[in-house]
Amino acid sequence: MSRNGGGEPLVEIEGVSKRYGNIVALDGVTATVRERAVGLLGANGAGKSTLMRVMLGLIRADSGSAKVLGIDASKPAWEVRRLLGYMPEHSCLPLGMTARDLVVHMGELRGLPRRVAVLRASEVLFQVGLEEERSRLIRTFSVGMKQRTNLAQAIVHSPGLVILDEPTNGLDPAGREEMLALVRRLSTELGIAVVMSSHVLEDVARTCDSVIVLREGKVAATRAIDHTSAAVRGDVRVRIVGDPDGFARAAQELGLTVHRDGGGEDGWLVVQGSDADGVLTGVRDAACTAGVGLRELRPAGPTLEESLIGAIG
Amino acid sequence: MSAADARVSDVAYSTYDGPRAGRIAAVWSLARWSSLRALGARRGWKAKLIPITLILLGFAPALVVLGLRALFGPSALGSGGLQAALPYSDYMGAIGVVILVFSVVVTPELVCPDRRDRTLSLYFSTAISRGDYVVGKVLAALMPILLVTLAPPLILYAGNMLFAIHPLAYVERHWVDIFRIIGSGLLIGFFYALVGLAISSLTSRRAFAVGGYLAFLAIPTIVGGVLAHALNENYLRLLAFAAVPIQAARGLYPGYTDRGHLSASLWAATAVEIMVVAIIVLAVRYGRDTG
Repeated sequence: MSRNGGGEPLVEIEGVSKRYGNIVALDGVTATVRERAVGLLGANGAGKSTLMRVMLGLIRADSGSAKVLGIDASKPAWEVRRLLGYMPEHSCLPLGMTARDLVVHMGELRGLPRRVAVLRASEVLFQVGLEEERSRLIRTFSVGMKQRTNLAQAIVHSPGLVILDEPTNGLDPAGREEMLALVRRLSTELGIAVVMSSHVLEDVARTCDSVIVLREGKVAATRAIDHTSAAVRGDVRVRIVGDPDGFARAAQELGLTVHRDGGGEDGWLVVQGSDADGVLTGVRDAACTAGVGLRELRPAGPTLEESLIGAIG
Repeated sequence: MSAADARVSDVAYSTYDGPRAGRIAAVWSLARWSSLRALGARRGWKAKLIPITLILLGFAPALVVLGLRALFGPSALGSGGLQAALPYSDYMGAIGVVILVFSVVVTPELVCPDRRDRTLSLYFSTAISRGDYVVGKVLAALMPILLVTLAPPLILYAGNMLFAIHPLAYVERHWVDIFRIIGSGLLIGFFYALVGLAISSLTSRRAFAVGGYLAFLAIPTIVGGVLAHALNENYLRLLAFAAVPIQAARGLYPGYTDRGHLSASLWAATAVEIMVVAIIVLAVRYGRDTG
């Protein structure tokens, strides 16, 4: 899948290796990014940030090649970088500037004419929810506001692809929820393709269409993320104590779909709904209404995590 | 604006398909933003106070001389008139301390916060390279420094021309001075910009950069002066780094003299050597991966 849903891949990485002294950061990584939102998943030191920096042309790979938006990332690095957005992992914002000034400045550095940069800075700060705070110095911001400013500077120039390095790092639960929602909006509503790194599978599963798992500098697995899959919808298997038919009727009245799993001889029922929270709430309410007990409750089918663990071995 | 003119605008994110500027525009943007911030623009009045005061002090000799001429006529400045009262060749010497302090104030502000806030990785993810960054910062340092090394003597030149009996004849006789003024301003400007940035690039702490810069200029000057006097060796006066660019610039004007009998070309060579070392320091500091 390309930006337009077909044709050229957004990123093509072919046999990229990178060493820092005796440490192998990337070991023959080959990957093609076609989806509009791709997650790079891996533990600390797996090579996610190094791979992102190769894509940006910030470091040169020892071997292999990386093409981003059809441009060789190692050659005219400045040319590809002005078409990309980048949100670094660590705090790197100039604390003495206002959010608006920073976003305008970064827009200009990525090739926008000044007048356009000023207009677009207002747009993106509105989009990330900082329109009221745009004239405040960044040093007065909370961690969440800094991350949103960081995201705003990465998308101000209307990039074809934005690279987000651990965007939820250091955020509290509420800030994390907001950031994940913003990241998902980039690819689904704002038309910006996303490559996001994270060591949290849930973050990737919620925001991306596919995942590339890196382990010790190698691609360990790649998987498409089906947002309509049971795992993402939150479908569950339940085993109840009491009348299963009564439970099924109560659940169906709450808008859930219930069927017996494997014939239902051992009492398992599969409950399906539109979202995870709705399913769990419905199961609780249906059990209460039917007057039955819940003996066991499990995710229906293999989760993305189980699938990836199986692929990695 | 009446109510009828008002309209509701949707602040939606739009894609941009217009022209995108290249590296030169990015470098210029970096230089412009950096120099404005170093002068206190878009910051509190305290950040503006010192740079503006120093710029005004840089203009003070020219404004005083021209003011006296305007208020009291040609006789106020003695028999030599305006030109003799404040020769162009002496102007930089007259405001040497102002130039030094101004560069000490401005140059650390250009690079230290970028290291302290780790902004370099953000800049290098845009259209600018490490080399572009250094060029942008040198331009950013040069532009404000030229406000004290170039603008005041040009104002003096304009005043001399306007107060001359025949302004066009003055320009005809003194047109070479314009180039001397520009050359002098650029030489001193580049010297202080490069040295200031090189020293500031060694630390992320502004206070350390200021201290290091002052130590770099003051300690060799004192040591060189003492040794030159004790050993009766004039060449040691070249260690007066703060005087190096000013003496070199004075060599651009006719009638150059030096109390230590050191030639202007020797001062100029020393200035060039120091600037080359500064460029090497900048290349080393920004040439490697700064993450």
